[in-house]
Amino acid sequence: MSAPAIGPAFSTLDAAIAVLSLVVTVWIGLRVKRYVGTIEDYLVASRGMGLYVGAASLLSTEVGIITYMYQAQFGFVAGFSAFAVGLITLAVCLLVGRTGFVITRLREMEILTVPQYFEKRYGRSVRVLAGVLMAFGGSLNLGIFPIIEARFLAVVTGIPARYVGWTMAALLLIALAYTAIGGMVSLIVTNYVQYVFLAAGTVIVTLVCLREVGWGGMVAAVESHGGGQGFDPIADLGVGFIFWQVLLWIALMTVWQSVAMRTFSTRDAAVGKRMFTLTGFLFLGRAILPMAWGIAALAFFWGRATPAVVPPAPTPIARIAQVDARLALTFSRDLDEGRLERALPQVELLDRLARAEEPRSPEAARFVEKASERRGEIGLLAMPWMLAATLPSGLLGLMLAGMLAASISTYAGYFLGWSAIIAQDIVGPLLSRGAPVVSGAEGGLVSEPAVPPGSFALPSPGLSNRAQLRLTQVTIVALTLFIMVWSLVYHLPGPAFFYLQVTANLFMAPTLVAVVGGLYWRRASAAGAAFAFVLGALTSLAYLVPSLRVGVATAGNLSWALAVGGFVAGSVLVPSRPVTGGAEKRP
Amino acid sequence: MTWALFWLASFVVAFVAFSVISLLIAVRGIAEIRELFVALELERRRRAR
Repeated sequence: MSAPAIGPAFSTLDAAIAVLSLVVTVWIGLRVKRYVGTIEDYLVASRGMGLYVGAASLLSTEVGIITYMYQAQFGFVAGFSAFAVGLITLAVCLLVGRTGFVITRLREMEILTVPQYFEKRYGRSVRVLAGVLMAFGGSLNLGIFPIIEARFLAVVTGIPARYVGWTMAALLLIALAYTAIGGMVSLIVTNYVQYVFLAAGTVIVTLVCLREVGWGGMVAAVESHGGGQGFDPIADLGVGFIFWQVLLWIALMTVWQSVAMRTFSTRDAAVGKRMFTLTGFLFLGRAILPMAWGIAALAFFWGRATPAVVPPAPTPIARIAQVDARLALTFSRDLDEGRLERALPQVELLDRLARAEEPRSPEAARFVEKASERRGEIGLLAMPWMLAATLPSGLLGLMLAGMLAASISTYAGYFLGWSAIIAQDIVGPLLSRGAPVVSGAEGGLVSEPAVPPGSFALPSPGLSNRAQLRLTQVTIVALTLFIMVWSLVYHLPGPAFFYLQVTANLFMAPTLVAVVGGLYWRRASAAGAAFAFVLGALTSLAYLVPSLRVGVATAGNLSWALAVGGFVAGSVLVPSRPVTGGAEKRP
Repeated sequence: MTWALFWLASFVVAFVAFSVISLLIAVRGIAEIRELFVALELERRRRAR
């Protein structure tokens, strides 16, 4: 007999707390619009951001409900080995914070977007190419946020499925309203308030997990149900995966647009460096704490489970097929009703029987894969179902306020980040094609500078400041509409964690390679940068097409290898003279 | 040191650091927001002139 179905304790009090937090956020976000006069106010808040507000803004942008869900899913599936990613994040933040690697040079240039650097260094064509790939990958990345977060809200609030889409649309519109009007100024202020909610929610959930299952229960669950894995990251995740994570996090902390915009918004480069040192520990918590929630959910549901019985059948493969057929009948309903203690033992039984038969029967491999997919699906919803089952009314509302704050701040930050690239680096340069240009580096045209050499004050020459501001606002609206549509039509090829990292990797590898090469290698050329972007994007795109069956670590590492290879080969074969912002000799 | 102990230490560091730094941000952030508003207001007046 299984445990009773979970019914969320969500009450009017919880709804009131959550709605009040949203009203406060929007009110504050809209009040600061009078401070926005120029595109520089709008995108980087006149570069007046301090250390603590910067840290809050950076974290609340990079933490949403989806972050907590995929991190918890990763912890549920990989156990404590997943924590290695958190340690990598900390190490990278400390490295960037201590050395100022890339960020100091970019901050000193006073640019608004990363592709803006490419125009000065390589020419306008590279800026537009980078802009297109960044906007494409970034939008795809953001595109699955609403649909995954909708599942979280449906579970913890008990909102009927038919209203969840409307709830998500309302959240997107809230973020859209104050971002489009107040830009970065609104973001910095609302991010601060949202961070307070978010941090409180994170601490509450962590304490609840510890109270419910305890650390010992989490360790025991991974030992018993991790299939002999879950502690040694090198054995479980592989050196290739870890190496890729190191590279990816270096890129994320230096050239990921929403992170880079925080660097560009700081008062000076020194504040930027300190911000990364401080946020390193917050990023450690951003990874390890929700991963621990996933492990706690594993322990919680196994604690309520009863072992699944092997069905009577004449052959092993027939028994496997019967377990699979039984799961097909009940799995989706169990997920929707939170009866994970019934689904989990059956999935484990399917996995165990299929693995035992795999050496003898190729058909069994298909069932191993199915069991793994189902385990991932359970992992995505286990944490929200555990919260729905354990949090009392009142605390549930506080937790939800924190989660909504996390989500809206992420939407707002990403809307501004990606629309800045679309408006400033794709549409702007294309609209101002009539602006006078001079031959720059071979293989690229550079716009005639409207400002003194070395300065980056005007991102889109030919467009007035007001036109740039309007263009960015219109782009934010268009991006919001795209996100709503994409989240409804796309089906994930694997765990959300991998999808998000691969869509990011689509442009992260070539962007970092082209930025580092441009800053520190005198022979870097426009052709090399273009090769890096095209080749680096190809393998990530291959992962997104399920029929090609490219593994996540393979796609990630190949993307880096091809980006570096293409950059070096292109720069050596088609050299060009650096224009400005390059690896010129320092006095 | 076993892996289990190592992950326990990592978890404790992550939780304590997250809580303490968040508290620091909540307290020190208000003053920074005020400074930002003052700077933006000065900039707005300068442009209006």
